[in-house]
Amino acid sequence: MIEIQRARIDVEAVVNSVRRDDAGAIVIFLGSVRLDPEVQALDYEVYKPMALRTLTELVERAKQKFGVLEISVVHRVGRVPVGGDSVVLACAAAHRSEAFAACAWTMDEVKRIVPIWKTEAGPRTPRIRPG
Amino acid sequence: MQVQVRLFATYREIVGAGQLAWTLRDGTTVGQLVEAVLAKYPRLVGHGNSMLLAVNHEVVRSDSILREGDEVALLPPVSGGAR
Repeated sequence: MIEIQRARIDVEAVVNSVRRDDAGAIVIFLGSVRLDPEVQALDYEVYKPMALRTLTELVERAKQKFGVLEISVVHRVGRVPVGGDSVVLACAAAHRSEAFAACAWTMDEVKRIVPIWKTEAGPRTPRIRPG
Repeated sequence: MQVQVRLFATYREIVGAGQLAWTLRDGTTVGQLVEAVLAKYPRLVGHGNSMLLAVNHEVVRSDSILREGDEVALLPPVSGGAR
């Protein structure tokens, strides 16, 4: 499952999408909008066709690199309030060590190369949060 | 020939539009297109070094030659979040 969507992410659905009988470990990462005095929400902007393509390539690379069985990534676009999940990543593997490693690596790469930008929405003028 | 230029985040705000139609001579490279865009929108100039370039959703080098109908994206650094 690789999706970019406006709607709230159904975490259980993402987890279920990677379940397999031969997977003894599922690692889940939730990226949430953190409370900050100047931030009431984050607005996510995405270059969708390139983001989907990049995510698909990343997932394939992670599966080969770590030998994991399944990876799903769902990212939100638009406004996400404080406390909301902006990204959910689930990674299933035979054993937990490769599931943890693949989840961490994939999330770092998502942050590094997938064309998604966020702007802080707060009581004052919105500003684009630097990398 | 004509290409579409896509702009995001800071760049979109500076230019005031997310998409521009741009007419070019045949054989123009991505780098030459970027120079033309920066000349028209000088407030983008300070961002030139960190700009990533993509054609038809794939990252390219600035010496790539453009073709009719290409979609060229000028991409600011992505959101990051180092920790």
